[in-house]
Formats: sequence, C-alpha cells, structure tokens
Amino acid sequence: MKLQEILKARGITDEQLKEVQEQDIPAAAESFQRIMDIYYLLKVTADMESAYWYNRVWWENDGDLLEVRRAKAVAASLAHSTPTILPYEKLVMNKTKHLRGAFPFPWVCASFFNSLAESLMEEAEAPAENEADSGSVVGAGGGNVTESYGEVISIAKKFGMRKEDIPVLVKVSKYWDGISVEDISTKYAKTLPGFEQFQNIMDSVLVMFDSFAIPQGREVMNYYMPLQYGFDGILELCDEKIAETMGETGGDGVLGMSRGYYYAAMKEIVKGLSQWCENYARKAEDLASREPDEAYKKNYLEIAQVMHNIAHKRPSTFREALQMTLCLHLGVVNEDPQSGQSIGRLGQVLQPFYEKDIADGTTTEEEVVELLELYRIKITCIECFASAGVSGGVLSGNTFNNLSLGGQNYDGLSAVTPLEYLIIEAGMRAQTPQPTLSILYDEKLPEDFLMKAAACTKLGMGYPAWMNNQVGMNFMLRQYDPEGMDLYDARAWCLGGCLESAPGCFLPLEYNGKVTMIPGGASPTCGTGIHFTGLPKVLELVLTNGVDKRTGKQVFPPHNKKLKIFDELLDQWKEYLDISNRIVNKVNNIQMDVWRKYNMPAVNSLLKPDCFKKGQHIGNCGARYNACINFESCGTITFINSLASLKKNVYDTKKYTLEEMTDAMLHNFGFRTAYDTGVFSPDYRESTDDAQKYAEIFADCINAPKYGNADPYADQLLRDYHMYLLHYLPTLESFFGKPEYLCQISVSTHGPQGFITLATADGRLAGTTYSDGSVSAAPGTDKNGVYALFESATVYDHSQNQNAQMNLKLHPSSVQGVQGTRKLLELVRTYMRKGGFHVQFNVVSSDILKEAQKTPDQYRDLMVRVAGFTQYWCEIGKPIQDEVIYRTEYEEV
Amino acid sequence: MKHVECINYINLDCEKGMCALSKQIVPIDGNGSDACGHFQPAPVCGNCACFADADKHGIGTCKGFEKENWTYAKCGAFCCEHYKAARG
Repeated sequence: MKLQEILKARGITDEQLKEVQEQDIPAAAESFQRIMDIYYLLKVTADMESAYWYNRVWWENDGDLLEVRRAKAVAASLAHSTPTILPYEKLVMNKTKHLRGAFPFPWVCASFFNSLAESLMEEAEAPAENEADSGSVVGAGGGNVTESYGEVISIAKKFGMRKEDIPVLVKVSKYWDGISVEDISTKYAKTLPGFEQFQNIMDSVLVMFDSFAIPQGREVMNYYMPLQYGFDGILELCDEKIAETMGETGGDGVLGMSRGYYYAAMKEIVKGLSQWCENYARKAEDLASREPDEAYKKNYLEIAQVMHNIAHKRPSTFREALQMTLCLHLGVVNEDPQSGQSIGRLGQVLQPFYEKDIADGTTTEEEVVELLELYRIKITCIECFASAGVSGGVLSGNTFNNLSLGGQNYDGLSAVTPLEYLIIEAGMRAQTPQPTLSILYDEKLPEDFLMKAAACTKLGMGYPAWMNNQVGMNFMLRQYDPEGMDLYDARAWCLGGCLESAPGCFLPLEYNGKVTMIPGGASPTCGTGIHFTGLPKVLELVLTNGVDKRTGKQVFPPHNKKLKIFDELLDQWKEYLDISNRIVNKVNNIQMDVWRKYNMPAVNSLLKPDCFKKGQHIGNCGARYNACINFESCGTITFINSLASLKKNVYDTKKYTLEEMTDAMLHNFGFRTAYDTGVFSPDYRESTDDAQKYAEIFADCINAPKYGNADPYADQLLRDYHMYLLHYLPTLESFFGKPEYLCQISVSTHGPQGFITLATADGRLAGTTYSDGSVSAAPGTDKNGVYALFESATVYDHSQNQNAQMNLKLHPSSVQGVQGTRKLLELVRTYMRKGGFHVQFNVVSSDILKEAQKTPDQYRDLMVRVAGFTQYWCEIGKPIQDEVIYRTEYEEV
Repeated sequence: MKHVECINYINLDCEKGMCALSKQIVPIDGNGSDACGHFQPAPVCGNCACFADADKHGIGTCKGFEKENWTYAKCGAFCCEHYKAARG
C-alpha cells in the first residue's frame, strides 16, 4: 500500500499533510547566542605571537635534528599563545589569542611578506588620520578586513593586523628570505627542463595554485591516541619507544634510525600540547580569581578543571573528550596553513563518553546539545592565513572542517549513534557555516535518522550534504588496495575537506569497561597534487593554437593542426592536458618534498595511525595510506557541453568551421564581456555592434546538446572523459611514489578560472563562472527535470574517482512540510540508488539571494551552499554569488 | 592607560576586546579606549623585567632565557615561563 493510501485510510488528505510542519526547532542555548552576538561583530584578525615563538625556538635550536627542531618550534608556538576565554564559553581554546584569528607562516611562504616589507612598514608608520578615524570600522563582507583603516592593516584583503605587529611580521619574514619552503622548492623546480612551461601555465591560471600554499588538510583527524592514553600516557610510551629504537635501524638502512628521533620529536609536541591546555586552565583560574559574579566564577573554575585534567590524563567525561578533540584539531591546523582538516565521524568517536555520562546521570541531552552548539562556533572561527587568491579565490573564506555522520561501523552495520542525532539537532538550532555536516548515506541507516537529516537540509543552511557510503567504500578498496585496504578499513572512510573521500581505520578505544572500535583518518592530505586545472581553458588553448588570447602569451607549443575530425580535437586536448600535468606534477612533487623535509607535520604525525607504530612522521609515509595525492579538475560540465557543441556544430552538422566557431568565441558572441560590465552572472548579456553577426552561431551553441537532460549525445562525452582519466591519471606519480587519481571539486575556483576563460562553445560568455561541481548541470541548461539530471550524472561509475559533486537548488516551497521532507529524502535516495556519489542542496529562493546581494547588511546571517561547503552570503565574492543565484531552481521535486 | 593594556582585557579582534569585569565590548583605539580605575597592567613583554633596549617599533631584547633573543613589547607574556612583572 502506498503512503498516500495509508494516510487516506487514516483520514489525512494531501492538503492537510502540506500544512504539517516539523516540530518547531528550539532556540539555541543562551551561551551560544551570546557568543554569536559577538561573532557577528568580529573582524578576521592576524597577529604575530605564534609566528614569533615558532621562529624564535626554531632558530634557537639551529643544528638539532630537523624533526625534533620542527616539533620544538610548533610546541613553542602553541605553548606561548595567549589564552582567551569569554565568560559565556564552556568549550575553550582558539587558534590564536583572537576568536577569529590566524597567523602567517613565513617559513612556508615568505616572498609575499618580504616583497611587501617596505610598503607594509610605511603603512604601519603612517599615523592614523585622526582619533575618530582610528576607531571607525571600514571593511565589507562580514568579518573580512578588505581595506586598511586606523591602526589596522589589511592583509590579503581578509585579515586585519595591528600596525604594531607589522615590524614583527617583517622581521620574522626576513629570516626566511630565500629558505622558505616556497623559495627552496622554487630553486630546485627551476632546474627542471620545462620550468618555463610551468610558469606559463601558472601565469595563465590554467592551474590555480601551488601545493605549499596549503600542504595539509583535505584529510581526516584521528583522535585515538590522546583519547586512549592521555598526554602523560603518551609521554611514557615515547620513553619506552626511545629506549627500544634509538640507535637501532630495525633492518631499514634508510629510515630505521629516524624512529628514535621521531619519538623524541613526539615528546616535544606532546609537552607543547599539554602546556597549551595547562595555560587555559591557569587563565580560567586567573579570571575566576577576579570575577565578582558567582555564576561566571563557577563556569571559569569548571573550565579550569577540564583543561587541567586533559593536560595530563585521558578524558573521563564527554565534555573533556569533546574539549580534547577540539584541542587536537586546533593543534593540527596551527602547524601549517590548512584548509579541509576534517573532524571525521565525531559522533561515533565520542559516543562511549556520551553513553556513560547519560547513564551515570552526570549530564543531560540538553547539556550535550549546548556543548555541541558551542563547538560549532569554535569550528566556524577556524581561519586559514593564506594569500588573497587562496583565501578568496579557492576557499571563499571557509576552511572546510567537515563532520561526517552515518556510514557503517566496524561490523558492517549502521554506524549511527544516539550522539549523532544530537549533532544534527545542534546544527539545526545553532546555524553556523562550520562544521558542515555530511551524511554517509547507506541503506542500513535508520529511517528516522535520515528523516532528521533531511529536515536539517531543508532549513537552507546547505548541510548536511549527502554522500553515498557504498560508492565511497568501493573507491577506498579500489584506490588503496595496493597498500592493504580491506573491508574493515574501507568502512572507516569519510569526507576530508569539503568532498575529498579520505581513508580511515578503526582503533580499539578502551573506556567504561568495554572496547569500542572508533573510526578516524588514516592518511595525509588527500587534496594536494595538480590543483584545479580549468578543463575548458585547456580546450580554449587548443582552439587558439596554444595562445592565451586574454594575455597574448603562448602557453603551450603551437600544434599547427587543422583538427579536421572530432577525435583530433580531443587528442590535442589530451596532449595539452598531459603537457600541463607532467610539469605541474614535477613541480608539485618538489614543493611537497621540500615541505616534508623541513616542515613535516608534528601534531598530525602523532595522531595519524600508523605513524606512532612505525616511528615515522607523515612525510616519511608514516601514515597507513599514502596513495592520496590527486589531480583536481574544474569546469567539467562547461567542458563537456563545449565539446558537445563543437561536435554538433562543426563535426556532425558541419554548419560552421572550427575557425568560425573560434572567431565567435573570441568575439564573445557579440556581447560585452564580464570584464567590461563587471557582471558575472551567466544570464547577463549586453550586445555590442557585432551582436547581429554572431546571433545565429550563438543560438546554435546555446541550443546544442547539453549535459543534464538524459541526452546520450552529451552524456556519452562525459562517460568517455571519465574512462580516459581513469586510465591516464595513474600514469602520474606523486611524491609519495604512488599513482594519482581524479578529484572533482571546484570549491570556488569555478569563479576565478571562469574569469580567465574566454567564451566557450556551449554559449557561456567570457569571464563568467564555469559550471560548479563536477556533475551539476550548467545553470539553466537542465530542462528535463531533476531525474533526467540524475540519469546524466550516473553514466559512469562514480566509485572510480575520489568524488563527484552535484549541487541542486530547491525552492523552499518544493519541500515544505513533513511530506516535503519525505520527498527530499526520496530524491536523495533515488540518486544514491543510481550510484550517484554526492548531492547537496541550497533550499532558498533566488529572489531572496538577489535581495541579499543588494542589501547585504540585512542578511548578515544568511548562508548558502557553494560547492562542498556553506558560507555566509556576505563573505563570498560576487562572481560566485552570481553563479549561485543563476543555478537552476527546482520549484517541484 | 588603555583597556587593551589591562589584565582584564579579553582579546576579541584587531579593533576591540571585552572587559572581563564589566562584560562590555571595549575598543582598542579612539573614543572609549581609555581604561577605568580597575586597571592593572597585563603581562606582556614590554612590562617584563627581562625586557630591555626597545627601539621605536617596540622591538627589544629578552634576557629572561638562557639564550638572549629579540622580542617585542606587545607580545603576550601570560604563558612565558620567565615573565617577571616590572611594574604594577
């Protein structure tokens, strides 16, 4: 019997059902609201405390073994960071002394600061105009400091730094002039035959950025070691291991001796982490000693007790365990510029602690939800200090700390825990961009859990997104089989970064008199490699004989071919792609190799299994799985649609020559470009005098077959593309000596890479964004409904790649009421059953977004899903805003 | 004396903080940035007995550790193992 028939039998009509709303969502805790009131006023701030202490201790230990020296420097930066505690907080610790704070890493990249040293000093020494100016706040876009004002200098158009910190920044940066990871790797990359080719590629923005820019992240945290042993316990283990391995090779004449040094380094980093916690305990006691209000005093003293306990012992309560995971997370993201350091399956990791506290009556569900709400603020406050290009162009200001839920447990059953319901509940009550939530959808998951998750998705924050657990597991077994991946470890996978499937493993946590197999990440970054290659730009260069017509530079050697048949065109695209990949991969390998030699992870090398077991840091392949470096694409569907148009209009119907098509694209089909108009929305068209000349060819390009309509003409091209990359990409070898694979996330790069790409044969105009994700339809081109889009998206096996990304925009009216929630879940389920890997939703009206673009101040808390992450509308760039507005809006599901 | 130089100042961002006593948000610069009668100096390098020879940018020498090194006056010293208050 169908659901409607059952309801009808019970006297419930469709109309009545539409009126039914989910239970009203309770307000977030008062503590959350008080801190968010402050959060909305915060400016993103960079300061020099951590960088100063890193630099000082690094140089004071000149001559020591590199892994130990590095660990001492990271430990010092943590242990000297001034603790900041707000009276309303229950969870504490920040990246820096500021709530939305970050700091520069000149030892990774110093050239930016050194080249600006003189102008920065001039700016720092210039007096503020007057007292009123010095206190006024300039800057737009939520917390971004886009311009200097008063005593604050804007850096990378995002971070505000106090003028008095600038001389310190300049002084610290000087130490690294010529010897930063960037400088050393560039020095050796320049010895490569073809380095000029690399420069041409990067100058054209065909490939988006260097690997050292964010060398860690796009991976999953592993919290096991400190949860199992506590910091004092790990120190004892280090001593045992040092006694066992120091001076011994263990049969490995290359890396065997490193084991003893690794354990010595781990002692240093554990001492630093422990001291960091102790500092917060001491600060809380200090505040309590001066606090007149008894309630606040009590709160400070509770914080002090928690922080003192976890500074030494393994956590003994849920609150301590959550605080410990936060400490570890912040510790890792403070040792490198990072994005996408994902939390992983936290609700499964912490379930034993939650279960015990609830059973003992030492806490309540409401208290746990409050802590989880406060946790959301802490993760939202994680900032990454990187260049303007990386911060804005790639990250849109987000740092992608993803929290996964669901999937399968060690025994192959539903992994959903009671705590995971509360994590979703906290996400519904406390609406913040981070952590974004990801459901590892599996047919075994409880229906009420899936309905709760769908109800959350409906709220319009863009989370949770939905990933196919079986597809993810299959990818793990395919990619990591040579390193011993088995079914048990495959079950432990989850999302690293916004959408980078990352390998994991289960480890036995002994707590509360029993052993629980808890999941965690088991690899280094799954997201460095050949970063964000603009596929449509490669095609453009094929049509222009290798010349970037935007800049006039010859990017690739001229092919001088007539490209008389479609396969010749495609082969040339493959040839140019290969030229790009070969040289970019070599440079990337040098960059990451220099990074791992001088800047090896310290905190993360403590946490990732099997580093501690092997006695090797992450740079030495200490982690269990290392075939994790990839090729990242951008603009897949713009590329496919362009191919379809060329195939149709040039090679099949022969209506136009390739030269005529190219000429039309070079003239932007007779329209003004986005560079001229400043409007990047794909539907904005302003004619030039040439408009009539190109009207017909433009119409034919627009009307050419498009992906997303279950039309085999276009979809077959997508399938062929995937089959080609499946076999081609493993011919590239990473710095870990492993084969590479396809990662498909656009993040925000479809904005800047669209910006540098001329008009494309699908009718997209010059400078406008590419299609987002990898299997989203190009905006406005999916005419046959969402199920046709699903047909198109699943013409190839999604488990052959790290991911596939689909973004959908639903009008809120399409999913209203409980019935709407059911529809949304069925929509997800349909896609997953067809083998789709990922789908995420914006449930928002385009009219609201347009209004928010005009009056951003009235929409400070409006969030949208971009491509794998949620961000405040006012903190993302206009090209991406335009793209989100223009996405096809489904009014019915 | 400014709020930002007081032990009761809680860091928020590059332009403001919170007073731990009043729970009010206070600016670092400009109007309203002057401290109240409860002012006590915060532990920063510039207030340490081991800090000397500051230049015009506040960069001076730290003599508190086994190895002398440079530091800067505004550097937080709450966590410094050798901080010795020079005043207050």
